[in-house]
Amino acid sequence: MELSNNCNAQRTNHLMNKPLIATMLILVLCAPLATLQAELPSPELSHELTRLEPPVTAPGFSLTDMDGEQHTLDDYRGKVIMLNLWATWCPPCRREIPSMESIFQDLGDKGFVVLAVNQFETPDHVFAYMGQLSVYPTFPILFDQDSKVSELYGVKGLPTTLLINRQGQVAYRAIGGRDFDHPRVRAIVNQLLTENDKPLTAVSNVK
Amino acid sequence: MKYFIRHSGKILAVLLLSAAGSVPYCFATVETFTDESSGLISWKAQHPGFSLQFIQLLPDYVRAVYGARGLPQEVVDLMAGYCVFGTIIKNESGDVLGYRVADWRYFTADGQSHPVKTKTQWLKEWQDMGVAFRWSLLPDEQQFAPGDWSQGFTTLPLAPGTTFKLGYQWTQQGKIYNGTFEQLQCAADKSPDE
Repeated sequence: MELSNNCNAQRTNHLMNKPLIATMLILVLCAPLATLQAELPSPELSHELTRLEPPVTAPGFSLTDMDGEQHTLDDYRGKVIMLNLWATWCPPCRREIPSMESIFQDLGDKGFVVLAVNQFETPDHVFAYMGQLSVYPTFPILFDQDSKVSELYGVKGLPTTLLINRQGQVAYRAIGGRDFDHPRVRAIVNQLLTENDKPLTAVSNVK
Repeated sequence: MKYFIRHSGKILAVLLLSAAGSVPYCFATVETFTDESSGLISWKAQHPGFSLQFIQLLPDYVRAVYGARGLPQEVVDLMAGYCVFGTIIKNESGDVLGYRVADWRYFTADGQSHPVKTKTQWLKEWQDMGVAFRWSLLPDEQQFAPGDWSQGFTTLPLAPGTTFKLGYQWTQQGKIYNGTFEQLQCAADKSPDE
């Protein structure tokens, strides 16, 4: 692959064309700067969601929860679904759980549901982990122990979150941790909640 | 975790950033962070709209992560034998941004360039060892919309404490960019306070 934007190459070009002072400034700015020591913050959780145009049909699935109860995507048809794929070892997954619980508490009675689909872990492990959280989730935690659902949705990294509209279509996507309690996210969910119902799309279940 | 703060360095960075209005797009800062308690180091390259961070991980930590997933001891030991970094990639631009680990290279002390082992290569090896686990490693390639970011392990077949140069590449607005960490270092086998 040809490299079209090489920092060192651009720096060399400026050295040839600019007056001395400008050249020295650019030399400093273009080169990797001297290493600075600073505070390492946790990556800030953004609130941007990517709209899928057009939305795509959400593949069906059937998974068990912490109590061994079966949940299928069809059980939630007609609702707006936040499908969150996560694992306990994933720090941003942990950080976004309180915001998911908050929006679920506020909009749960308006036709909104959160389904947190855990990857490759056991209910016992997740149950112990939940006890360490400051906010205990009241939405369903489902177990995708062979990662079939994540593969079905083409998920490459955790966390990934998908918003499924009332028509059973994936309408928005977020790769990486988010603050789902942000007004922008709430506005999107509210908009999906108020959309007119259309005929449901037939789906096939994956077990 | 607590980190040392050197305010003069931060002020210098702000001044340089402020003066960078007419500077070519290649401008980048590289910051290092040292964990106060463990002594582990991380490096963060900040480009306009794109950041890449490498965080040292101890072999024992890697062993614990894979051991806790119930993976076979053979796999746990194999992973812990690599130089492993936690890697965070963020799209901080308003455009689509992409990367492919297959385009990245590391350079050893003899000047030789080597490809970085990809998640796909690891998954094939794990599959051959009967392991279905497919998480924890940095995805091979991704297209990030605004606000998207990702993290995962990056692995290099280097001994603990080895220093090396890493060349990375990403795409933004249809253009290919590349940057370099001049000196990364694998974690020592034990943290300094052990």
